[in-house]
Amino acid sequence: MAKDYATDYSIPELLACFLSREIENGEEASVGAALPIARAAILLAHLMHGPDIRLMLSYTYTNLFGVAKLAPIKSEVDFRQMIWAEGYFTDEDILHESKLYSRRRRFFIGAVQIDKFGNSNLLGVGDDYKKLKFRGPGGIGTTSHTSHAKCYYIMSDSHSRRLFVEKCDYITSVGWGQGGADARKKLGQPGGGPKYVLTPLGIMDFEENTKRMRLKSVHRGVSVQDVVDNTGFELIIPKETPTTEAPTKEELETLRERVDVEGFLMA
Amino acid sequence: MQELKRKSVIIDEVEAGKWVKDGMTVAVGGFINSLHPMAIVRQIIRNRVKNLTLIGAGSAGMEVDLLIAAGCVKKLICPYVGAEELAPIGPIFRAMAQRGELEIWEVDEGQYYAGLKAAIMALPFFPWHGGVGTSYPEVNPDIKVFKDPIKGQTLLAVPPIEPEIAILHAAISDPYGNIQHEGSPLNDAILAKAADKTIVQVEQIVPNEFIRRNPYRTTIAGADAVVPALFGSHPFASPGFYLEDEQYIKEYVAAATAVLKANDRGLLEAYLKKYIYEPETHADYLEVIGIKRLFSLREY
Repeated sequence: MAKDYATDYSIPELLACFLSREIENGEEASVGAALPIARAAILLAHLMHGPDIRLMLSYTYTNLFGVAKLAPIKSEVDFRQMIWAEGYFTDEDILHESKLYSRRRRFFIGAVQIDKFGNSNLLGVGDDYKKLKFRGPGGIGTTSHTSHAKCYYIMSDSHSRRLFVEKCDYITSVGWGQGGADARKKLGQPGGGPKYVLTPLGIMDFEENTKRMRLKSVHRGVSVQDVVDNTGFELIIPKETPTTEAPTKEELETLRERVDVEGFLMA
Repeated sequence: MQELKRKSVIIDEVEAGKWVKDGMTVAVGGFINSLHPMAIVRQIIRNRVKNLTLIGAGSAGMEVDLLIAAGCVKKLICPYVGAEELAPIGPIFRAMAQRGELEIWEVDEGQYYAGLKAAIMALPFFPWHGGVGTSYPEVNPDIKVFKDPIKGQTLLAVPPIEPEIAILHAAISDPYGNIQHEGSPLNDAILAKAADKTIVQVEQIVPNEFIRRNPYRTTIAGADAVVPALFGSHPFASPGFYLEDEQYIKEYVAAATAVLKANDRGLLEAYLKKYIYEPETHADYLEVIGIKRLFSLREY
């Protein structure tokens, strides 16, 4: 049955709708403030097809399926979200709940550098660790969550040769290590690893056996050459690279009217 | 004959500040833009304490940046220093790291809790998988890579992270140190357990009967000292009491950013003078901010 696709959408809206299809009913998802596209994707999944999704929001467990419009969330610990709490948890609870993460929780991260096996860097750039040229935020929670999450997604609001590098100066999240389908098992990582990398140019995944990064789709108006020119290592390019699937009209309407009510993703 | 009485552990922030001495290992609780024990943090800075090993929160905020800016910190153990949208990375933290002027014991949030658990469990280390295959054991040689004796898995051994004093901010307490947070204690309960001593600022000291009517909400059952500090987390939020004061956080961030971008300490020195060195107590600080401003931070 043909889907009724929207035609007027922004790239962040496109990615939010794409990611919302990834999250399954019955999973658990942490609604953070750091990655607005990820936040929107989780809430959209919840409202559109995931009534049983358990949300983790400002250190509460909750469910917002019946809520007509979701208020913008300003921070990881915005206490105004506590009105919905069905329960509370602590920070040490979530960092160490590997069994739960590997079965029911996906994760989203940003990165300063990403290599061809999806290993990524949030520590910084520079040869001398004690005097970095650019000191990043550090791994924060990403190191442990990318170790144990069911799978994870790397998001970036740029696509450049500075981002996609042959070798990260430092690694804060393990992707596929030195490559190969058993790379994560050898490193004792309980979670499924990076599944997609999402940028304003396209979506990348990882080839099944080598786990080398591969172009999955380019967004509307972007050419494969654009992606190749802006990637600092050799991407696997499939014979046919489709255009990223557009949001449906229903997805976009729900997103705009109930999830992203302030239009943050439209910009 | 002397009548025995249960001991009240109430002290004021000036007294609490004196507990922190040069060279100590001190943890400051809260999380990003919420629940930081600022009345005591300002005392520490006022007292010009030096050479602290500062254990920031699992995700800390500008209170850590401020302590570094004021010259109190020699070594930092902290997975994140930032104010989210207002400052993705603490400007002074970043400046000092880039100049090689701050000793950083690099640790991610999972390794951080592993270290605290090692301290709580009186173990020489706590094992963890988050960080195997990353740069963490390389940049922090105190974290060791090993193969476990049961399954032969490669893991990290994280040594104890052990505060001499944990300094926290919560909602309420009775006079005996029974602390209740409004909502999640975030990382405060685990910091209290790992620490030798715990001091908690609270918005309000309440009768013991108040605590006993809902003991489920007690998050820390035995703080060593309790400090009455209404608006004691300002400019950060205090769940159930007041929102974060963006204007004042931004004022600090702007002052710190001038140091990062132009190596200019002018704004920072002015900030420290106005908000920390001149006001002698927490009440004096609140008078600088003003009642109208404080009341405007209500949730409703």
